[in-house]
Amino acid sequence: MADTLMHVEVVSAESHVFSADIRGIFARGVEGEIGILPGHQPAVIALDIGAVTLQMADDTRALVAVHRGVLFVGADGRVIVLADIAELGTEIDVERAERRKAEIERRLASGPDAALASSLAKQNLRLDVARSASGVPSAN
Amino acid sequence: MAGSGQIRQLKRRIRSVQSTQKITRAMEMIAASRIMRAQGRVRAARPYAEQIHEIIKGLAVSNEVREHPLLQQREQQRVAVIVNTSDRGLAGAYNANVLKVAERTIREEEGAGRQVDLYIVGRKGAGYFAYRGRRAEKLWEGISDTPTIDAAGEIAETVMTRYAAQELDRVWLVYTDFKSSLTQSPVRMELLPVKPEEFGGGQEIAPEFIFEPSQEELLERLIPRYVEAKVFHSLLESSASEHAARQRAMKSATDNAKEVAGNLSRIMNAARQEQITTEISEIVGGAEALGSR
Repeated sequence: MADTLMHVEVVSAESHVFSADIRGIFARGVEGEIGILPGHQPAVIALDIGAVTLQMADDTRALVAVHRGVLFVGADGRVIVLADIAELGTEIDVERAERRKAEIERRLASGPDAALASSLAKQNLRLDVARSASGVPSAN
Repeated sequence: MAGSGQIRQLKRRIRSVQSTQKITRAMEMIAASRIMRAQGRVRAARPYAEQIHEIIKGLAVSNEVREHPLLQQREQQRVAVIVNTSDRGLAGAYNANVLKVAERTIREEEGAGRQVDLYIVGRKGAGYFAYRGRRAEKLWEGISDTPTIDAAGEIAETVMTRYAAQELDRVWLVYTDFKSSLTQSPVRMELLPVKPEEFGGGQEIAPEFIFEPSQEELLERLIPRYVEAKVFHSLLESSASEHAARQRAMKSATDNAKEVAGNLSRIMNAARQEQITTEISEIVGGAEALGSR
């Protein structure tokens, strides 16, 4: 089993993010944490806002920030992560995310707003994923 | 001397036309490079929409999708029209064409006795309807140039919430379809209600599939994503069309400037020649007057 790989595609609404042969994928579904290894039963799983961890063929890990996603495991064993927003941790610009976060917090200070609160959650997630991808421990 | 004054004026006009030409040429080239990028984004967004559609179709085989609030057909009393225009002008007939379709849709709906709520993307559309005294329910600026999924989500969310709350009974989406760099045509699409036929013909998902949460809840989550992807697609198509229309408009402006500058310099040359001829005949005339004495 150690040598089996499965193909994964990460697709966001704006673009095709990533595709590779991997050893496993770990994510937070709306009903709890899930791990998918090669040979998994076909499934359709709604994902929570959070980080998806991919265990690569060389045993390194890649993190993907996922917002409003669905994980699809096909009958042929291929895995598709579909999400509104999906970004590789290594590709997130921490400085820009910080600036966006500060901007959102400043606007939130003038009053509660559901849309802004959800954008704030999104920026926090991106920052977390970006920091753990670059090896810097997360601030919170 | 009247001649040299005229020449000076012509020179100034030629210079002004030429600097305009430089600007339009730059705009033409910028637009051309943006078309490529916008087309790339349309292509890049396709896999997501297709996959979502496939999964919904698969789920719809064994589930009743008709019950979903976004698929419910009602007697239509109140409709919304979303119109995609650009923020900036100088794009030829791009905005006029799409606004014509929007205007026609509004007239048809109002002619049938329905109330129309207007949603506008782009400053140009806002200006058009404000001038005609029509109030927009909501206006989005600054997204039509390079649309993001966030913006598409916000637009979709606005109308979906009102549709589910039965405040709207139909939603039209008016945008410009990018067929090629030469042809873009304004189109309208019925965004809501989603037709059940759109989810027909799917392959049944095999019974061994695990669903988390249940199939109904998954559909509940995915159908709004599908609508959102459609809105996003319309924004991307419109943006590619805008750049293509601008490129063409700027190309003809550049060509025209070249022609105007050419004509003006011909007139200027003629005037200069005339001036020289006059001067020579004056000198000759003067010399003859002296010689005959």
